[in-house]
Amino acid sequence: MTASTLPAVRRRAGEWGWIGLAFAFLALLACWPLWSDDYGLSVVRDILVFGLLALSLDYLWGKAGVLSFGHAAFFGIGAYSMAIFGPLAAGAGANAATVGLLAGLAIAAAVAGLIGYFLLFGGVRGPYFTIVTLAVSLVAQHIAIGWSEVTGGDAGLIGAPPPGLEIGGFSVLLFDAASLYYLVLVIVTAVLLGLWVALRGRYGRALAAIQDNELRAQTLGYNTSAYLLLVFVISSALAALAGGLYASLSSYVAPDLVGLFLSTEVIVWVAVGGRGTLVGPVIGAFLVIRLQQEVSSIDFKIWPLFVGLFFVAMVFLFPRGLLPLLVQAVRRLLRSEVSR
Amino acid sequence: MQDVVSLVLNALTLISILMIVALGLAIVFGLMNIINMAHGEFVTLGAFTLSLVQSLGGSYWMALVIAPLVGATLGAILERGLIRFLYARPLAAILATWGVSLIVQQVLQLTFGAAPIAASGPFEGSVKILGASYPAYRLLLIALAFATVAFVIWVMKRTRFGLDLRAVIQSREIAQTLGIDAGRIATLAFAGGTAIAALAGVLVAPLTKVIALMGANYLAPSFFVVIVGGAGSLPGVIAGSTVVGGLETVLNYQVPVTLSQALVLITAVIIVRFRPRGLIPA
Repeated sequence: MTASTLPAVRRRAGEWGWIGLAFAFLALLACWPLWSDDYGLSVVRDILVFGLLALSLDYLWGKAGVLSFGHAAFFGIGAYSMAIFGPLAAGAGANAATVGLLAGLAIAAAVAGLIGYFLLFGGVRGPYFTIVTLAVSLVAQHIAIGWSEVTGGDAGLIGAPPPGLEIGGFSVLLFDAASLYYLVLVIVTAVLLGLWVALRGRYGRALAAIQDNELRAQTLGYNTSAYLLLVFVISSALAALAGGLYASLSSYVAPDLVGLFLSTEVIVWVAVGGRGTLVGPVIGAFLVIRLQQEVSSIDFKIWPLFVGLFFVAMVFLFPRGLLPLLVQAVRRLLRSEVSR
Repeated sequence: MQDVVSLVLNALTLISILMIVALGLAIVFGLMNIINMAHGEFVTLGAFTLSLVQSLGGSYWMALVIAPLVGATLGAILERGLIRFLYARPLAAILATWGVSLIVQQVLQLTFGAAPIAASGPFEGSVKILGASYPAYRLLLIALAFATVAFVIWVMKRTRFGLDLRAVIQSREIAQTLGIDAGRIATLAFAGGTAIAALAGVLVAPLTKVIALMGANYLAPSFFVVIVGGAGSLPGVIAGSTVVGGLETVLNYQVPVTLSQALVLITAVIIVRFRPRGLIPA
């Protein structure tokens, strides 16, 4: 039995390898400010935000088996909400960004809940669900470009408030590179840890069972549509969290944050890192965005061509992702060391 | 009266375009449960064929014959070379054909540039219908689209190939035990679908900007058609196109384009809740 045909319920053998990798990766990131200058911090910080987006898709695609071509739409909802509602809430002082963020989370969850309810409870699954999310992505893109009185059209919007918090007399606004970097790192770590803890027990098993054979899971008494809807809503809200963070950190949003191509790229990040491994997609985002910078420095027009070739190659050569291949190879190496 | 006539004709134009673009997609989806994300690129290839034929001195009518051949050939290559290995993995097929779509877009863009290229219809001018003046070319488009759909219905209902195809759609296994070569049928049906998409490309080219990325504009609406109408059924495609095209045309008169697209999406999603297999399933 090859890895790709192994049922999702039993794909847990390598978990300790991934936990080790997650620790090493996060430790490295935590130490990064010791070496880096402010510019380096902001680069890694932005990639981490995209890593959070990849993580949100992995929860949906890797853990529940639902592929979405619309995750950039929810990222965009988060980003645009920050840029639209944040400045409106200027009266809230340091809390302006918090207001924008909460608005984004609420709108994304509501949209996902509405679409997800009609589709999932209507019995729409697999490829059918995927093409509807693709349509969501296209419509979101058209709204971002076309509704220019609100979204600024092609030019986008500036003036998203920086992250901050104000409770009672205590008020803090984050401006310097190091605190912004650690803010993002803490959020990504918290989401990663939260998802890992939530999914390692019964709940994760139930999702894996739905992924392997939904009818069987239903027969065992699980309301599978409700399970999938919850995953879709939370995953979309997490994507909006990433979007809101991105807008708040760069104080600028543009229509390419909602585009279909970003949705495509998220899938690449998850696929490279190995779907269902949680930390893998975050690392995948790092690897792919680095590669993108290298390729684009030669000629920025050939990157989409690269992505296209990647999809075709992935389906045939490494259906479970590039990083899992690497982890497997390392594990085999270690095992042969021990047995010697 | 004039307004009503032009509204109806505008709706008919959009319905015709949706119908022939979605036809191939619906057949392939119903037949093999494969969603061809590169379907829109065959529309693009058809439009580029028209432009190339015309720039080499050929006529519109010549392109109308050549484009389906180009579409069928490339479609057969895609099915034999890639898609037939992925029948058991529908999500992998989505990713692979999406990759093909990006590759075709970029190759066309690198070869022909990002600017729109020229493509023109066979004639200009307009015709008076019930007091309303309407572009003659659009009437040709409507006529050719309906002729194509009629032809496909004839193939499906009246030929041996159509019978085999319907048998494979109903049950691949039983069709195979009866001696039908399902693999061959799949290749032919796929090539037929992409040929019609390329034909659609020729038909829409004079009405729109011919650019390498134009296919994406046709992909989502034709998915709506398939979702609303039902995969793998010809009546479903006609019903889906009528609902989506009619709704979008009527809404475009009332509200901004972006809002009308969002409303069409919402309508499609709500219809799916109550008719999960589409309005007229296979």
